[in-house]
Amino acid sequence: MSASLNGNSASSGGPTGTGGDDFFDQMLSSLPSTWADLATPKSPWDMTGATNPAGSGEDCGGYDESALLASRLRQHQISGSGSPAGAKPMMLHQMLMSSAGRGPGGGAGGGGGGGANDPSGFFALPLSLGRDDVEGPFKSPNGTGAEGLFNGYGGGLPGAAQANSQPPFHHAQQGAPMPAQNFGGAPPSGGAQAPVAAASGGGASAPPRQRVRARRGQATDPHSIAERLRRERIAERMKALQELVPNANKTDKASMLDEIIDYVKFLQLQVKVLSMSRLGGAAAVAPLVANMSSEGQGGSNGAGGSDSSLTVTEQQVAKLMEEDMGSAMQYLQGKGLCLMPISLASAISSATCHPRPSVSHLAGGGGSAAAIAQHLIQSGPNPQAQPNNNNHVNPDGPSSPNLSVLTAQSAMANGNADSHKDSSSA
Amino acid sequence: MDQFMDRKNYTHRNPNPNYTPNYNSMQSLRFIQALARINRAAPKPTTPSRRTKQIRRAAYASMAYTSGSRHNWSRALLIRLRQRQRLRSLRLLTVRRRVRIVTPAMSRPEEPARAETLRRLVPGGKSMEYCNLLEETADYMQCLRSQVQLMQSLVDAFSS
Repeated sequence: MSASLNGNSASSGGPTGTGGDDFFDQMLSSLPSTWADLATPKSPWDMTGATNPAGSGEDCGGYDESALLASRLRQHQISGSGSPAGAKPMMLHQMLMSSAGRGPGGGAGGGGGGGANDPSGFFALPLSLGRDDVEGPFKSPNGTGAEGLFNGYGGGLPGAAQANSQPPFHHAQQGAPMPAQNFGGAPPSGGAQAPVAAASGGGASAPPRQRVRARRGQATDPHSIAERLRRERIAERMKALQELVPNANKTDKASMLDEIIDYVKFLQLQVKVLSMSRLGGAAAVAPLVANMSSEGQGGSNGAGGSDSSLTVTEQQVAKLMEEDMGSAMQYLQGKGLCLMPISLASAISSATCHPRPSVSHLAGGGGSAAAIAQHLIQSGPNPQAQPNNNNHVNPDGPSSPNLSVLTAQSAMANGNADSHKDSSSA
Repeated sequence: MDQFMDRKNYTHRNPNPNYTPNYNSMQSLRFIQALARINRAAPKPTTPSRRTKQIRRAAYASMAYTSGSRHNWSRALLIRLRQRQRLRSLRLLTVRRRVRIVTPAMSRPEEPARAETLRRLVPGGKSMEYCNLLEETADYMQCLRSQVQLMQSLVDAFSS
């Protein structure tokens, strides 16, 4: 059973509930009237009672059962260990039932008025105290909490009861054992600090482990604490996700999840599409990159270093052209290129140079390609262009495929289909 | 002697004086290197679909490598990539499965209904709890978005 507690604390990261303190404060506020004679060794009770003004306004519908058990223990210890075993359950039961019925005001006082002994018998507290009647009236999962409580007492009592500050526990619910231990004869000042500090929200004397402040009126048993923590974490992560997703105006959690799923799917689809679209530029990317780099390095020496693939294309085109113009055209088409006369190429490049925005939104084709084409035209004048001019192939050296490549792209982008006299392609 | 050492180290250093290695720059570097590698192997005839897959795998690999072992999803992605690579190279179909305690979807009743779809989408999402899954989704989404932006800017740069 205590294993389950440990499991709870492990899963929730070891937070502990201090809501028990709240209820304790309420209980204590009702106590001073009846426990006034015990006030001297128990001045913390008075203090906490005084510093807890809002105890009356609270509904005790969600009070902590471990707190009740702790108060029961206190009752037991106050009534002394010598009281008959039979009377104890009745008294505690009575107290609890009355407190359940009437709320914090005076319920505990009525039940606890019977025993007003000195709490010296804390250490002699039997471990098996009230285990049966714990499960009796309150058949709840906190029956296990009671056992854990008792086990914790067994383990923690002998050495740590006199501790001034809060002893570090590793159990899930700590709010109950600690104040109970404080009541159990620990020096009052040290004990006073615990509930007060906890009540004030974890001040300087806060325990080393984290404590979760339970809101008033909410259950503070370990399961619900862990649940609440988990829910809060999920909520804050959903909020972070909401900021990431663009269409984040949904407040519904389910629709937010749908939105997130759709967005992830959309992003993955975009990666796929982009990897496909890069394909079309594959043949042009290599020469373009090579030429741009060579342009950068070589300066004005025309198209300096030609890529191997360029010459391969060139030779292939030349070979095909010897056989059949149509097949050459098809080959070029397959590569996304076309042939055109130089004059037309220059005309197109000059035309596409100016309306840059319109070109770019057409197909991303023209602008800087045309600029590069123009640069190539200007930088690479070739005298041997003349005899081959009727072939409609740009013959100026290695830069010819580049020019045709680039202008083909821009031509295609602009939708110019006809660029030939003999055989047209594009 | 020291100068030689420095020169050797110099080649790996980024010449930009304001260089701070952040996630985006690392990712871009990895992705472009992967792309260059693919392009270098291009003369071998590759069908368009195969090349698509290569590029997509390079994209996810760059994402996963840049994120490293910080996140569950990147680790799961790396494992998946290595498994596929091993499969392809060795043609073996037996994959050693790591025994994991995975709670099936039925035993998580407190999650919303669409959580399982999310688990399928995010790599390594099958064996995570719901709140960890949300955190991983956020990070995965961010990485995906930066990857998409990177690829988009590359495509724009090359096509215009």
